[in-house]
Amino acid sequence: MDIDAVKARAGPREFGPADDMPEEYRKAATRMLQFHANSEIMGAYLEKPFIRKSPSIDRKLAFSAKVQDEIGHGQLLYRAAEALGVKTREEMLDELGRGDGKFLNCFHYEMTDWWETPMIAFFVDGAAMKRQATLKQSSWTPYAHAMDKICFEEGFHVKHGEDIMRELASGSRKEQRLLQEAFDTWWPRILQFFGPTDDKSTHHDFAADVGLKTMTNDELRNQFLNAYVPKARKYGLEIPDEPRIRYHEDRDHYEVVEDDLDWDEFFAIAKNEYPEGLDQINGRASAREAVEWARESLDASDSGMPGAAVAAGSD
Amino acid sequence: MRWEVFRQDKRGDYHKHCGDIHAPDREMATLFAQIQHGRRMTTNSLWVVPSDEVTEIDTEDTAFGGRTDKAYRWATTYNVDASFAKEVEDSEKEQAAVERERGATASEGEGDD
Repeated sequence: MDIDAVKARAGPREFGPADDMPEEYRKAATRMLQFHANSEIMGAYLEKPFIRKSPSIDRKLAFSAKVQDEIGHGQLLYRAAEALGVKTREEMLDELGRGDGKFLNCFHYEMTDWWETPMIAFFVDGAAMKRQATLKQSSWTPYAHAMDKICFEEGFHVKHGEDIMRELASGSRKEQRLLQEAFDTWWPRILQFFGPTDDKSTHHDFAADVGLKTMTNDELRNQFLNAYVPKARKYGLEIPDEPRIRYHEDRDHYEVVEDDLDWDEFFAIAKNEYPEGLDQINGRASAREAVEWARESLDASDSGMPGAAVAAGSD
Repeated sequence: MRWEVFRQDKRGDYHKHCGDIHAPDREMATLFAQIQHGRRMTTNSLWVVPSDEVTEIDTEDTAFGGRTDKAYRWATTYNVDASFAKEVEDSEKEQAAVERERGATASEGEGDD
């Protein structure tokens, strides 16, 4: 199939591993999926310490279940990426380990305190879910199928995140203050979640033309703000004066004043050059190295494969 | 030799198990699968797999989802309103439907004992 044929046919769940897809499509889909899969893994690592730091057994269980879910999402997405035949899962995990793999801006920051957790578990997961729901319509069928399962599970994550926020917002004055401080810190990062405005986004046009994605960053960010700004207010959070957001009632649109956001930081993050992000990358790389022996022992016992029983017996 | 057949109704759908057939080899299996399972129902694609290659694990072998109360991993457990975002609400509804099904299966099981 050539690119024109792909563009002509592009639609929800239109292409799969049985189709002969042009290299440009396979590379663009790999880039999206690898970014998405990496983000699941790095997000899980960011939240993992809160299995230990949770203030109650219920929260501990929920965070442990959530981290497990996110690692599972990473695995689903690496599989959907692998099916494009551009990179193997091993290659993608190696790239992530040596700092060449790209992932979401929000997961490049440190998260150290309990009152920060709703920033990821409610706002960032909520933003991610907005995007993921639209990817059920992706033209790469394995991507859309992965989204069916991921979106099924994500409702728990977002509601759990909101539940933590509700608890803090209705807690002591100190808890309310700490929640507001966390929000002040994370809010600009959350606004940058959807990337720069459309005219500055480099990959959108092609991905949209071949149906890999169906909505622009601006549309998604606007939908996100429409739903999540009222939620923040409901819990008594004050939206910081800067970065400025202006609501236009006539077209039900939130305008974000982009010049108020730190794009130097954003693009340093995008290049994996932001110091806190490097700590996250290296931390995960050491964790991966520490369990190298477990992967090796699995590789050594491939006896579950068809025909392998004979080989094992002949050793 | 027995083969399991999975049919996909239309492009982009999941392949779902629809039955099995007898055939001496792979080529004949694809032919018989078409005749038996691909003619009447709308079909975009079939997967044909030797039955021996299918590994099954069922509720006799394992407790899917574990034996302890895992309420903490269901959206329905958290008493906050999901209707503010359609995708969160949809996920909660899907989970609630599965929970009802699981509940029904569990109480059927108890009745058998």
